[in-house]
Amino acid sequence: MTHRLTTMKVMGTHRSPLQLITAGAILFSLVACATVPQPPNQELAAAETAITSADQARAVDYASAELHEARTKLAAARAAVQQEKMILAQQLAEQSRVDAELALAKAEAFKAKAINDEMMKSTDVMKQEMQRNTGDKQ
Amino acid sequence: MSTQIYRFNKLIAIMLTPVIFAACSAGPIKPEGADMARNNLIQLQSDPQLASRAPVAIQEAELAVRAAEVPQENVELGRHLVFMADRKIAIATFQAQSRLSEDQRKMLSEQRDNARLDSRTREADRAHSDATAARREANLANMDTEIALQQAADLQRQIAELNAKATDRGLVVTLGDLLFDTGKATLKGGAASHLGKLAAFLNQYPDRTVMIEGHTDNVGSEDFNLGLSQRRANSVMTYLVSQGVASNRLAAYGKGENFAISDNESASGRQQNRRVEIIIANTAARQ
Repeated sequence: MTHRLTTMKVMGTHRSPLQLITAGAILFSLVACATVPQPPNQELAAAETAITSADQARAVDYASAELHEARTKLAAARAAVQQEKMILAQQLAEQSRVDAELALAKAEAFKAKAINDEMMKSTDVMKQEMQRNTGDKQ
Repeated sequence: MSTQIYRFNKLIAIMLTPVIFAACSAGPIKPEGADMARNNLIQLQSDPQLASRAPVAIQEAELAVRAAEVPQENVELGRHLVFMADRKIAIATFQAQSRLSEDQRKMLSEQRDNARLDSRTREADRAHSDATAARREANLANMDTEIALQQAADLQRQIAELNAKATDRGLVVTLGDLLFDTGKATLKGGAASHLGKLAAFLNQYPDRTVMIEGHTDNVGSEDFNLGLSQRRANSVMTYLVSQGVASNRLAAYGKGENFAISDNESASGRQQNRRVEIIIANTAARQ
């Protein structure tokens, strides 16, 4: 305490460029490298929302592996928050979110293709029926 | 004192500066897998079917790949960024595929509608031609009816021309004695026109059987009259057969003088009794 006060007093009196750089460097290093441990609440919420969306789209039918991974990572992210490993928690939450988003996108793509296949099939059936009817007539 | 502090500060500054640079500026290592992610993204961006169909997701993937390509001191962070980039590329690809399917659906729906329309058109055509055929059949039936009516009218007219009478036994055509010379069974020349009409009538209705009965007046012996009536009936039958009437439809009987239709006292009465009756059956022959 005494030491720091003295230092400040010295800085105030001398104002040499080197001292200013030093002070700046210390401040910068504090801000840049020593992250304040805050839980990644936003990322966790986003991951949860993405999983819910994928669930509602019945992604489990088409992309169960991705959805499972999303859930596992969200749980791991929460565990990391408990252990105050906030950077790891944030990364896991972000990964969980993209896993869930991938599950959703994959499921939507498969569903869209299934509808198209069904339409093609019914068109084929109609064409065959038509040919058969024409055959009967002749 | 102040010199000491100044030295201390200088020392801190000299020591911290490289630490700051090492910790917070980028190290030289590019994360493993970043190049692969870039390749995948380029592939997606150059796909003509997909590139334009998920612009937002592809932009996000581009940013993620750029972040992953930045050389990282921290290997874990690099791995995380590459993972994020890979996922973003996959998401963009699936979204583009969804959109592609949706766009194709319009075309498929058109194809299906066309197929349905075709099939309906053919059905309608078929129904139309069926209706036409039915109409044609109905017309034919009408025509048959008309023909039948026409035929019935013809029959009536012909019956009238033959002086035929409708009786329980059938149509009875009575040929007078003017067809034969007295005591002879040979047909006179004038008989041909009258019998010709009868033959034509019988040929027109080939399913009717015919009975030919000869009758006489009471002049002369009964046996002679019986023989004469039979011969005259036979003459008529022979003539009809010569005109194409099948002989199995015909039967000739000599009835003699016993079936008079008028008295034998007067000349006109005897004339009426000298006759050949042709009985045409109403019903069709069983054969």
